Amino acid sequence: MGRRLAVLGVSLLAALAIAALSRVPFAEADPVTSVVRLSWRTQGVQIRECRQLTEEELARIPEHMRRTEECVGRVTDYELVVAVDGALALVDTVSPSGARRDRPVYVFRDLSVSPGPHTVEVTFVPLLPPDLDEVDGAEALTWDGTVDLTAGERALITLDAAGAALLRRDAER
Amino acid sequence: MGRVIRGAQRGGRSVLARLDAWLNALYGTRYNPLYHSGALVVGCFVILAVTGLYLLLFYRIGAPYESVERITGQVWAGRWIRGLHRYVSDLAIVAAVVHAFRMAVQNRTWGPRALAWVSGLVLLSVLLVCGWTGYVMVWDVQAQLVATEGARLLDVLPIFAEPIARTFVGERPMPSAFFFLNLFAHIAIPVGILLILWIHVSRLARPALMPTRPLFWATTGLFTVLSVAWPISMAPRADLLRVPSDVALDVFYGFWIPLSQAIPPGAVWLTGLAAVAAVLAVPFRTRPPDEARVEPSWVNPRFCTGCEQCYHDCPYEAISMVRRGDGQGDGSELKGDRSEFVALVDPSRCVSCGICAGSCAPMGVGPPGRTGRDQLAAVKEFVERASPKPDDIVLVGCAHSAARSGEALTGAPLLRVSCAGNLHTSVVEYLVRAGAGGVMVVSCPPRDCWNREGVKWLAERLYNERAAELKDRVDRRRLRVTHASEGQAGSLVREVERFRAEVRSLERTLGESSIELNPECDLPAISVAQEGGS
Repeated sequence: MGRRLAVLGVSLLAALAIAALSRVPFAEADPVTSVVRLSWRTQGVQIRECRQLTEEELARIPEHMRRTEECVGRVTDYELVVAVDGALALVDTVSPSGARRDRPVYVFRDLSVSPGPHTVEVTFVPLLPPDLDEVDGAEALTWDGTVDLTAGERALITLDAAGAALLRRDAER
Repeated sequence: MGRVIRGAQRGGRSVLARLDAWLNALYGTRYNPLYHSGALVVGCFVILAVTGLYLLLFYRIGAPYESVERITGQVWAGRWIRGLHRYVSDLAIVAAVVHAFRMAVQNRTWGPRALAWVSGLVLLSVLLVCGWTGYVMVWDVQAQLVATEGARLLDVLPIFAEPIARTFVGERPMPSAFFFLNLFAHIAIPVGILLILWIHVSRLARPALMPTRPLFWATTGLFTVLSVAWPISMAPRADLLRVPSDVALDVFYGFWIPLSQAIPPGAVWLTGLAAVAAVLAVPFRTRPPDEARVEPSWVNPRFCTGCEQCYHDCPYEAISMVRRGDGQGDGSELKGDRSEFVALVDPSRCVSCGICAGSCAPMGVGPPGRTGRDQLAAVKEFVERASPKPDDIVLVGCAHSAARSGEALTGAPLLRVSCAGNLHTSVVEYLVRAGAGGVMVVSCPPRDCWNREGVKWLAERLYNERAAELKDRVDRRRLRVTHASEGQAGSLVREVERFRAEVRSLERTLGESSIELNPECDLPAISVAQEGGS
């Protein structure tokens, strides 16, 4: 009888330990920070660099595949700068995705701030090569405004539907 | 490095031996849960499949949180079944880790067992992924944490066209397609687990897939009671535009989340890859050096009668029966005089347990140095050296049992064998006829046999006339088989003293004093080098 009780006790303790470890308090009930979330996707500024193939290079290519001009496309990097309450909070270079860096540019950053009102300025500027003066769609994207956040709230700053301007968006419910 | 690993193995084995001994005293060797760790994982899998099917009836991908809330609050027994599903999934992880630990410290990971080690690691990984998808299904704050942190880690890999993390931006509600894919993965992964499990046990004969029935039902009952007494409650709903708060983390599945929040994703990957590489390297790092490695079994075709006993007894399916006659060391020159078929050992599957040696009446198979003939030669030397006394006993001990401690503590002479299943019954007969008052065979507990079935076959051979059986002429009162794991020296000493007392009270018969073994078996040991062979 005593042994059976011991078996039951040890088994229950082991099971209780498993149950307790399956629900270890991790994040506190009342978060102490808020977040400014920056998230958008843009096609970026496409740059096409072309050059004429030499006679020797052309001679090495089968006749039916010969094109005199070879072009390589890529997307420019961007500089992302964020200031919160006038202080610089983030400076980062955002590169296009893809192994050849020719895919869209994605931004996904969370900046922790204290709860309460904050002025936020976001600048997203394409880093054009110095030899390029004017390129279509190479305008900087900016947003500045005030966010008043409760503890644990995330303010989402994203692109508008046309992809032309940054804005603060609330969640759809 | 090798020394460190062997030291860690010794330390781990010592801890395991103490735990085993303690649990053996409590549960008995038959129900010690540590011995059933691998089978318990499969048992958990069965419980998870049954409870999961019930929960699936009420789950809605269009409203994941609401449907789980309904399961928890309104569906008959839903809260308890959900709790059982969750607790048992945690138990599966614990059992899998214990199983891996046991195999690693017992040095049962290298050579032919490496496949089981690697596939076991894959099984554990897949089990974890299955658990993560299960947590995401609920779509509460813990699900949010698992999903967003997981996405952040995956985005480091340059394989996705678009960062997965953007799925969890929060500007739009999560699409049903996401929950459909997640549910599909949660159901499809277990099917994959079955396939990997098949690979995991593919090198085993008669794998013990399920724990003993009482243990299975006791586990089910225990966790059912727990899920009723301490049910699972609903955590707050996931809100991607809020920092997850009031999260209770399941450390068995979410152990990596604190790490991923503390260090950059690349460092998490490096840490994880380093851990996986270390675990994968265990078979290579624990493999003994070539000179210390035991050789696989070998068949002497001259003695093989084609009886198939070794073929049936091999726990690793390393022996097949082939037709004599291809002239490649299979005794083709004996064709016509001997059986049509002859046993053949596949060295790539043989772990050199020596169980085949104990199964072979004509002593024609076994690892070099441990065949029946080698054992007879060794026991002769042992008898000359130890001079067994009629009023005392001899211990024949498995190398992994408490036999060595038994010898030191009781003074009974010890004849060591690599595994109880390796012991040829003629050795027992020889010892009794040589004047030993009794022979006590000390083995590991049956569910902890390092060679899986050694203890089972030993008992069959000694008591149930399984070939190579102990002859009827041996008085069974002078024989005792006892199971004592490494840490059970105390109980072994008590057994030895009890058996000693019994033996001393026995009246010796005259017939047992004359040694008259089958002359065919009483040949000198034959080495591989002399004979060659299959």
